[in-house]
Amino acid sequence: MLPAPSKVIRTAFKLATTGTLLNDLGVSLLRAAAGFALGAAVGGTLGILVGFSRIAEAAIDRSVQMIRAIPFIASLPLVIVWLGVGEAEKIFLVALGVTFPIYINTVLGIRQVDPKLLELGRVQGLSSIQLISRIILPGALPSILTGVRYALATAWLALVVAETIGAQSGIGFLAMDAREFLRTDVIVLTIVIYALIGIAADAIARLLERRLLAWHPNYGTAR
Amino acid sequence: MNVHATPRYAASSESGPAVVVSSLVRSYGSRIVIEKLNLRIERGEFVALLGESGCGKTTLLRALTGLDSIQGGRIVAPRRPAVVFQEHRLLPWDNLWRNVSLGLQAQDARERAAEALTEVGLGDRLDDWPRNLSGGQAQRVALARALVQQPELLLLDEPFAALDALTRIRMHELVRELVANHQPGVLLVTHDVDEAITLADRILVMSNGAIAFEHRAARDGSTSISRAELLAELGVISHSPN
Repeated sequence: MLPAPSKVIRTAFKLATTGTLLNDLGVSLLRAAAGFALGAAVGGTLGILVGFSRIAEAAIDRSVQMIRAIPFIASLPLVIVWLGVGEAEKIFLVALGVTFPIYINTVLGIRQVDPKLLELGRVQGLSSIQLISRIILPGALPSILTGVRYALATAWLALVVAETIGAQSGIGFLAMDAREFLRTDVIVLTIVIYALIGIAADAIARLLERRLLAWHPNYGTAR
Repeated sequence: MNVHATPRYAASSESGPAVVVSSLVRSYGSRIVIEKLNLRIERGEFVALLGESGCGKTTLLRALTGLDSIQGGRIVAPRRPAVVFQEHRLLPWDNLWRNVSLGLQAQDARERAAEALTEVGLGDRLDDWPRNLSGGQAQRVALARALVQQPELLLLDEPFAALDALTRIRMHELVRELVANHQPGVLLVTHDVDEAITLADRILVMSNGAIAFEHRAARDGSTSISRAELLAELGVISHSPN
């Protein structure tokens, strides 16, 4: 049975003013942000290493691709054994989901930089650091931002799964708690909140693309 | 200076010729592309290099950039040359003045880029994006980017080949003007015999990795060589009766 939308709105208002909704929302957002930052740092660093160095590619890429072949949610039991049920486990799972899209798109972006532009950079006398900052990273940015956008989606997925299991706070906890009492209005509310945050994250990613890729004919609006 | 160059790419004094190439050998594996080639280009001298595809002219130009390793001989130049390629190679994520000042180690990079862009007639487009330019305009920006470095040697690798006929004629005028003002030595690699006759003080024809023919224009600037003679040298048509 689905509750009436008006009931969900009333519940939202009630939980926000007298309950713990805002606190739970904050906890969830913080977990997502921490996991995303960690995963993006690891994925980005590995991606840059592999993108630039054939040796790093030989050493890292195959292992990463093997781990990537596992649906990251399948590793949840192992993560719980390692880290227990707590904040660390949730942040780790989010980070795991974020690492791979960032990694793959960073490597791809660096590899796709036009070698003719690199040659031009050398002709103009750029140092290695200038080559990276003026040519390679800007050239890889469209692909990296695609990775960011994809990673935002997986981050939410990971968070929902992690919070469904043994959370003491957060949106997922709210949902599981409501299940115990058959409060479908609260359950629907949490689903709506997840959806809204997903939309907001995507909007932020789009905004980043428009700002950072203003030069790009397929993204920018600048003339 | 000459950071990427091979040990054989040596720096010379600031006042000498734009470049001196002696006994240059360039090979890919066992295949020799350039064999014992000698070439000297003075500052202010405009040299055109003709030759059919695969004769080694682009390989020579690349060797002169100092990016490719060479297998023998010496290239002596005061500094690394500036290059304009067939494609404009503008960075799409940088506006025009940032593109022109790429690699420029100067506090007043923006002002110098603005001056160079004004020289090529795009002084009002400093903050514009490369994607808003026509092919001819983009190639003018590439010229500005080369000249802002104040090179002693300017290498032009078929820079007008992709332009339409009218734009090409305008570009010829512009290049002639810029070279007269800045006085770099120029090596223009081209397929276009008329372009070589119009622009060059000296025309070289390359064949099988060596310079097979050389023609120097008269002092008054008039070129005595005819199109037919050059085409004959290139092996395109048989020798004309006169």
